[in-house]
Amino acid sequence: MRSSWLHRRDRRGVWFVAPFLLGFLLFMVVPLGYAVYTSLYTYKIIGGTSFTGASNYTQTLESWTFWSGVVRVVVFGAIQIPVMLAIAFFFACVFDLGVAKYGTFFRTVFFIPFAVPAVVGAVMWSFLLEPQFGPFTRLANALGFANTDFFGPTLLLPVIIVIVIWEWTGYNMMILYTALKSVPRDMVEAAIIDGAPLWRIILRIKLPMVRPAIVMLIFLNTVGALQLFTEPQILESFQQGAVSLNYTPSYYIWNTAIAADQTNLAAAMAVILAVIIVGVSAVSLLARGGGSRRATAKGASLSRAVNRDFSRGGRPPVPRCGPAARATRKADPMARTDVASGPRPRSCPPAIPVHTRRRELA
Amino acid sequence: MTLTTAPAPARTAAPPESRRERRRRERLAARDAEIPVKLYGLRRGTVGLLTALAFLFALFTLIPIAWIVINSTKTQANIFESFGFWFARPFQFFHTFGLLFQNVDGYGTFIQWFGNTALYAALGGGGATALSALAGYGLARFRFRGARFAFYLIIASLLIPITALAIPLYLTYAKAHLINSLWGMVLPSMVSPIGVYLMRTYADLSVPRDLIDAARIDGAGETRIFLRVALPLMVPGLLTVLLINVVTVWNNYFLPLLIFNVNTKYPLTVGLGLWSGRLANSGDANLYPMLVMGGLVTIIPLIALFLILQRYWRGGILLGSIAN
Repeated sequence: MRSSWLHRRDRRGVWFVAPFLLGFLLFMVVPLGYAVYTSLYTYKIIGGTSFTGASNYTQTLESWTFWSGVVRVVVFGAIQIPVMLAIAFFFACVFDLGVAKYGTFFRTVFFIPFAVPAVVGAVMWSFLLEPQFGPFTRLANALGFANTDFFGPTLLLPVIIVIVIWEWTGYNMMILYTALKSVPRDMVEAAIIDGAPLWRIILRIKLPMVRPAIVMLIFLNTVGALQLFTEPQILESFQQGAVSLNYTPSYYIWNTAIAADQTNLAAAMAVILAVIIVGVSAVSLLARGGGSRRATAKGASLSRAVNRDFSRGGRPPVPRCGPAARATRKADPMARTDVASGPRPRSCPPAIPVHTRRRELA
Repeated sequence: MTLTTAPAPARTAAPPESRRERRRRERLAARDAEIPVKLYGLRRGTVGLLTALAFLFALFTLIPIAWIVINSTKTQANIFESFGFWFARPFQFFHTFGLLFQNVDGYGTFIQWFGNTALYAALGGGGATALSALAGYGLARFRFRGARFAFYLIIASLLIPITALAIPLYLTYAKAHLINSLWGMVLPSMVSPIGVYLMRTYADLSVPRDLIDAARIDGAGETRIFLRVALPLMVPGLLTVLLINVVTVWNNYFLPLLIFNVNTKYPLTVGLGLWSGRLANSGDANLYPMLVMGGLVTIIPLIALFLILQRYWRGGILLGSIAN
């Protein structure tokens, strides 16, 4: 315990944190509190504002208009996030392993859309996909898909998915790339010496090591997906009537607050949306907590997991320790005596079975 | 579990390295850190195939950017009628660029929005970085009552969605007469929980406790220690946080859309959104080219900033700890 005079000054740390906490209080806590307060009232042209308790909440919760937007963003996220993370992880691995040429150049190019505001990204894609003159619409028509309408009801959601993938893949790739850089080099080298093919190195070593990063990205992207607003709003201004007023919850809240001027109802919706998002994030963060507990065991079990896979090639079971193992090692120094197959004497440390880790993930 | 890279090496007394030498050393170090590709035992053509895939995705990434560059030179008629990925006469780039300085159609002047955005991003991003540096250092290097609680509060606030926060802010501003106020935009932008989280991680890695203790023994005050000892060590982290915060404010759309209702206050994003909303009804034949040009001028400063500062984000000093 350090209790020298030096550390009596520790209370001064409060002053370093105070400016941020003040801002936090004024611009996060107070508005949220005020929103909850407002949501309990209702404004009527005749009679003015009156306390109506939970009626704004029941109105929202019973409104299919609100929930259909929630369902839409959930569908949107369920497609967009896995596709984007798969692309991001694929290229992060490719660049991390250096198995494609010009990796530095490609990494820089992929990251560029992060610097493009969502508004401008949506505007650019709207021009490209515009139903009458857009180059992509013309291309689709030339390829035989006559009357392709990218802003029509069937293609609108896929189009938004493509736009969001365009915007965010590079950023996610950079985070995964950084995480991959921290995978110990000797672990990969050992696998190479064992003759593991590249795809197995990726799936068995790299993927488990960056699992915490992937869970974090799933969380961040889920929060983002549930708030989808900019892209539908800009698309709507290019093709009026393409996007319904309740297309996403955020868009519906905005329309309720600004266009319909029902601020009390909008406040209730904002609170409900916040609760939904916090709930979903909490679930994914709990999953992440499980991930970090596993991480300590991971290092130990990882090499076994890799080796275990190699042993499936019809190789006879090799004793892991004890006199038999010593004899085997003497005869053939390259034989793996650490494989978790064959009889295990009492003195052997138990191997952590691979299936345990899988089950924990689910 | 720790994914952050090691803190920057301490400065030694060695003669200063020229930029060229440093680049060369870094390139060689990067080469040595990589496992030679031929060791992977790949089938012939794999590298070519993967490069081709990367090329295809790069094409997908660059298509909209190429389109906006090419079409910033066109007239409205040509934007629609000519081939989208090649130039068409007449060359109108400078004419359209000039229009950005005028209030065409009465919807607002682009250059004013540009100035607003720069101001909001500088004040909001700079302020957020300053507050994050203070709070991050305070949380990393002091143990005081409530520090742990404050940190958990900050982590928890990462969960609160911006959209769900913007509506309450708007309602509060409407009550407090802060609609159309500069500070209504700047002050909330200065509250960046992710920035505090990142700066705490970085301060923890890069500012040795012993150095602070030594400075205290020498009689330096806490403010002086922060400014003269800790802050210089935190510069790489500060730049990353600054970059993230500036981009966040620059690209922010929902909050300014709610809290500004006069077009002289708009940032670029809201202004361009307004233009795209008026496209269909506008009588002015220049609005489409202006929107294209405006989009181009909006993205250029940020892309330039990223290319100049790419050492910082590509090194991923802090991006790693976001993922952590």
